[in-house]
Amino acid sequence: MDTQFLVSLSIILATFALYIGIAIYNKAKATSDFYVAGRGIPPIFNGMAIGADWMSAASFIGMAGTIMLLGYDGLAYIMGWTGGYLLLTFLLAPQLRKYGRYTVPEFIGDRYNSHTARVIAAICTIIISFTYSVGQLSGSGVVIGRLFEIDAKLGTMIGVVLIAFYAAFGGMKGITWTQVAQYVILIIAYIIPVIFMSLQITGNPAPWLSYGEIVGKMGELDRELGISEYFAPFTNGTKWQFLALMFTLMAGTAGLPHVIVRFYTVSTMKAARWSGAWALLFIGLLYLSAPAYAAFSRFILMTKVAGSKITELPGWTKSWVDTGKLQVADSNGDGILQWSELIISNDIVVMATPEIANLGLFVIGLVAAGAMAAALSTAGGLMIAISSAFAHDIFYRVLKPNSTEKTRLSVARWSIVVATLLAGLIALNPPGAITQIVAWAFALATGTFFPALVLGVWWKRSNSQGVIAGLLVGLGVTLAYIFAAKYGGFTILGIIDTGAGVFGAAAAFIANIVVSLMTAAPSQKIQDEVMDLRYPEQMVYKNGEVWLNDDGPKSV
Amino acid sequence: MKKIEKKVADSYFREKTRNMIIYFAIGFLASFGVVFFAEPLSDITINGFPFHYFMGAQGAVLTFIILLFVNAKMGDAIDRKYGIDEEKNKQISSGKVLDH
Repeated sequence: MDTQFLVSLSIILATFALYIGIAIYNKAKATSDFYVAGRGIPPIFNGMAIGADWMSAASFIGMAGTIMLLGYDGLAYIMGWTGGYLLLTFLLAPQLRKYGRYTVPEFIGDRYNSHTARVIAAICTIIISFTYSVGQLSGSGVVIGRLFEIDAKLGTMIGVVLIAFYAAFGGMKGITWTQVAQYVILIIAYIIPVIFMSLQITGNPAPWLSYGEIVGKMGELDRELGISEYFAPFTNGTKWQFLALMFTLMAGTAGLPHVIVRFYTVSTMKAARWSGAWALLFIGLLYLSAPAYAAFSRFILMTKVAGSKITELPGWTKSWVDTGKLQVADSNGDGILQWSELIISNDIVVMATPEIANLGLFVIGLVAAGAMAAALSTAGGLMIAISSAFAHDIFYRVLKPNSTEKTRLSVARWSIVVATLLAGLIALNPPGAITQIVAWAFALATGTFFPALVLGVWWKRSNSQGVIAGLLVGLGVTLAYIFAAKYGGFTILGIIDTGAGVFGAAAAFIANIVVSLMTAAPSQKIQDEVMDLRYPEQMVYKNGEVWLNDDGPKSV
Repeated sequence: MKKIEKKVADSYFREKTRNMIIYFAIGFLASFGVVFFAEPLSDITINGFPFHYFMGAQGAVLTFIILLFVNAKMGDAIDRKYGIDEEKNKQISSGKVLDH
């Protein structure tokens, strides 16, 4: 284990040195650098940064395992987390970019002309991003802890210090370029083991083409064992739960503040459109590989590990059994480990597979570095979202509108440090599994921001009373359904807590529309601004007429 | 500043909205549509996968990626058709942003 430790440590340290170097080189000097990277990030690189921001510890560490354990039902995550980019890129990103603000609460506050809505939106941003970052920090703790064989708590603390340092220092500009590097590292780290496994099992270096037959073969193995086939649909929940979860993940993607703010960092609506396309291409590389990862891991476990003598299990089993995430028990006492006697937690599949498939020291170290990159890059983006919601939307726009740029930057930096430390404290004793924590964050975003933003951009009649009602009702219904489903056993059509967003979003849309119609229409100026979002920058909507601007910004 | 006829401005918005609805319909069929009819579709096999599994694991994601690139390309084409100049957009955008 000593060589493994050294190899892993040097790979991780080398990547960390790279991230910190980039953050120092791109230190934020102005407020706009800090929040929106000076709005000059080219679409391809912005796409990579969105990818790294987006693909969290849940995607990197948890997803393949979830698919492996849930079979077809796990694919709701694949389709939901990619399909969200259609909603985001068509309905919201270019329009929000044209509106030209720093943060999501700022859009809501200015579009609806209400400080109350701004503060509610800022608080929702903080709740959603904070929940999400607890998941990231505990994920990085698991990786560091397992790798260096130290306590996961110490691992979490190392991660906290690192994130607080480079997010507070570099701001969005530093984070964006760091995330480009993190994307490259995490995607290489994810794809290499899949390619090796594909070569090992099928002799074909393209896992995306070769794992179809493995999926078919596993169906046969499952039939022989008398369990439901790997690809059989709706074995772990109803069809409605699948559809509701998929919708929640899609709409939540389009409503996550730390993802939307990425589209503020580009120059125009056109660039926002292209950023969305590049982002999904880069994200798709990992999401197309995850089901392959899952299929190969399950196949190796079924054919090579299950069926061997309990006394002759390979060395990797012991260290994972020690973490409590893997159970091997010869319950029928025949001395042989059967498939049904092997219980593997979905959080360790990606981390353990390189060891299971015997892929060598370098690959194991690389996967660890990739998992760290995924956790840290997402946590970095989340911290910027939290700090901007507090320092910009609450402190500057509401409390102290006269504060200087220097004060605001230092408030932003300090709020990152405080938020990271708080999230780290909670992550020491996480309230649930990584994927579960993340799913709640999505349900909350679906119930609050998705309706508020879609109506804000596409319906000029929506007003401040409407959005306040929508945000509060959406938040209330989502939270109530999560608790009722999780602790009260209450479900509709078999939809459990992870699909709660569908009810929150429906209630929020209805509340927003009904209350808006019952109260006075927003001012003509606001309605014109909303109409203006239908057109590219060069076309300007004013008093019911559209103008083409040939003379540059001055005449607007 | 040059006034654009209401008809022209409306048709810009209509063209973009019509395309968007088409993209959404395709994306919806590839994901929600296939899930809804997963059981009957599972008898078809494609590249070793049952069809519903293939769509969930690969088909839907590829469809989404293609739709986004088609949207970006078509959006550029529509902008060109209506005489929108991206350089001008950039200038206007950086001048109009609320910087504070």
